[in-house]
Amino acid sequence: MSDLDGEILRVIERWHTRGQSLDEHEFDDLALRVFDYQLRHNHPYARFCASAGISPQRMPSSWREIPPVPSSAFKETTLATFDVSHAALAFVTSGTTRGTGGRHYMETRALYEAALLAGFDRFMLADRARLRYLNLVPNPHDRPDSSLGYMMGCVSASRGDAHTGWYLRGDDFFFDAFVADVHAALDDAQPVCIAATAFALVHLLDAMRERDLRVALPAGSRIMETGGFKGRARIVDRDTLYADLSDRLGVAPAMIVAEYGMTELTSQYYDDVAAGRVKVSPPWLRPRVVGLDGADVPHGVVGALVHVDCANRSSCVAILTEDLGAIVDGGVILLGREQGAALRGCSLDAEMLRARA
Amino acid sequence: MHRLRARQIVRAIADAATRWHDADFPPRVRVLDGICARTGYSVPVVEYALDALFGSIGEAALVETIARELGTLDVLDRLTPRGDGMSAQALPVGTACIISSRTTIGVAIVPAVFALCAKNAVVVKDREDGLVRAFFDTLAQEHDAFAEAATARVWSGASQDLGEYDAIAAFGSDDTLREIRAQTSIHARFIGFGAKASAGYVTREALGDERTLRGVLEAAARSFVLYDTEGCLSPHVMFVERSAHCPPERVAELLAAATERAGVEFPPGKREASVDAALLQARSLAAFRAASGQGRLFSDERGSFLIVLDPPLDEPPLFLVRALAVYAVDSTADARRYLQHHGVTLEALAAPSARADVVELASALGASRVTPFHGMQRPMLGGNHGGRPRIVDFVRWITVEL
Repeated sequence: MSDLDGEILRVIERWHTRGQSLDEHEFDDLALRVFDYQLRHNHPYARFCASAGISPQRMPSSWREIPPVPSSAFKETTLATFDVSHAALAFVTSGTTRGTGGRHYMETRALYEAALLAGFDRFMLADRARLRYLNLVPNPHDRPDSSLGYMMGCVSASRGDAHTGWYLRGDDFFFDAFVADVHAALDDAQPVCIAATAFALVHLLDAMRERDLRVALPAGSRIMETGGFKGRARIVDRDTLYADLSDRLGVAPAMIVAEYGMTELTSQYYDDVAAGRVKVSPPWLRPRVVGLDGADVPHGVVGALVHVDCANRSSCVAILTEDLGAIVDGGVILLGREQGAALRGCSLDAEMLRARA
Repeated sequence: MHRLRARQIVRAIADAATRWHDADFPPRVRVLDGICARTGYSVPVVEYALDALFGSIGEAALVETIARELGTLDVLDRLTPRGDGMSAQALPVGTACIISSRTTIGVAIVPAVFALCAKNAVVVKDREDGLVRAFFDTLAQEHDAFAEAATARVWSGASQDLGEYDAIAAFGSDDTLREIRAQTSIHARFIGFGAKASAGYVTREALGDERTLRGVLEAAARSFVLYDTEGCLSPHVMFVERSAHCPPERVAELLAAATERAGVEFPPGKREASVDAALLQARSLAAFRAASGQGRLFSDERGSFLIVLDPPLDEPPLFLVRALAVYAVDSTADARRYLQHHGVTLEALAAPSARADVVELASALGASRVTPFHGMQRPMLGGNHGGRPRIVDFVRWITVEL
């Protein structure tokens, strides 16, 4: 383990155990040191930064000036600070118009696991509940390249009650098994955590409606919704989704928490339900919102999200996304990726080309 | 409309269009802000669109187009000898419905005009800015017969019964056309104008003289920034033949400089944040690739446009606002291979000259126009948008063989 990893782990640990945050200066210092490390070890990223006039000899003065690599660059080349033949983890990103996905390699499991567990404990398990995990995400045994599957595997193993269930395999949803496990949890009076993408939750609700099924999960149960509707034709309004989940599963809306992560990141954001569901992050992860020129837009203005994740030591500390958001008091509002990016006129567009193919 | 002679109809339409061609014509002034608000385009872009649209609808152009397609204007009024022993008359099909379902400016007006010339009743699905309604009001001032024959309505497609129309001309995406076609009576004529792309092809002959080349690229840049690259006549991809006289990098550089200047004349419109985010991602990716020696990018400080030289060939055109891919090619075969690989069908191919292989390229890719760059966004009334005739679809022939 490098000294830098040790330092990042200490930051995570201090926040995890004592709630100790990072002030602006401390975050700057950590982010810039991670960045400096990457300039020396991640050559494609270093070349990209050099083209923007940034090098170990000409470092930015603030974390806000670290050139964010576009998330799509992960599909272009290997972005890693180490020889990826020794990678401890490799997660696959979603595909592109060229039909190719990318990979996010991590040199060690330690940073990823520490970061995800600290965030999950803080934002999902503030009451330190030991839950039963019913996962509507890929099973890491089937899909070791799914970051979401790995995350829930890790959480279930270390925070669960040893009766974890997995109900997705490819496009198959094992609804009967899910229902059986729900009833078992009811019999055991064991609170559960359902972890699922929004899209999977819609399918779950459809199946429950079809069977006219309605349950009241044991008190303390909760739902972690993630992933939105990326790439899906059917989109359901979030308030409606949460209201329906609450109605069908007997989980109060306040116990439904949205997580936001990306394969290209190591750390995650979560809803601060009490603060109107703004997204909050652990102290080593900070968002920027930028306009077309790449500069920060004023608070409250919607723009593209840039994530500066100090735990992303193995790849790139700053990532430019196509997701939209706005910085507000207490966090960031995430608007996701809108369909509006399609051309509006009579022009052909990429979506139509794909549909015709 | 039956009581009017075709010549009267044509003249009334041309007179109304002439009034609308005047930028100070009060009804035009009144709808301008509404069109800008609906489309998000800047005022100069919308003014350009209205000038191009109404400037093309002249009496001579209407008569010539009708005569070319039907043989003579008179055939719309009476049985006319055809020269083969038969007489023929072009009758109206009945009621024509014109639907332009996306954010275009007045595209319904041209088919509406020809449907009216054929003496049909016409119903146009209007947009909320009321451009078509306002133009029809002017027509009604020219002759009261238009008040009854030409109707513009704002409606949502789903709520309309399209089964009552005898001809439906529709502009839109594949999904929109599919939906409209499904609602069309089997006895009705369906005239679909689907979404298409356009391309530019700079031949090496144009590269010999930088002054000539600059002229070509100034025109290309104007076509590129107009309608924020969202029209089917906007260049979405350009091909530049390799030449010892002027390397493709220099061509892209000159095009970028011309685009900056064109952006002063036609400022960008209002964009959704998602559009900016997609453009920023594309620009950053192009910069990332360029840093690794793959291609080059050209933009301005604000990032208001993006020109990418030689992006990977396995990527389709960018299809983003004011974004253009430029490929260096050896011949039209390279361009053809690229476009066919990605399934891109063309509406127009712009080129400095009608070299035989360029025309062949356009033909192979389904284009209906080979045009100079300066004419790209100004289609002529007598042209064949979508590869279709203008008036033929709106008439029903009767022949008398006695």
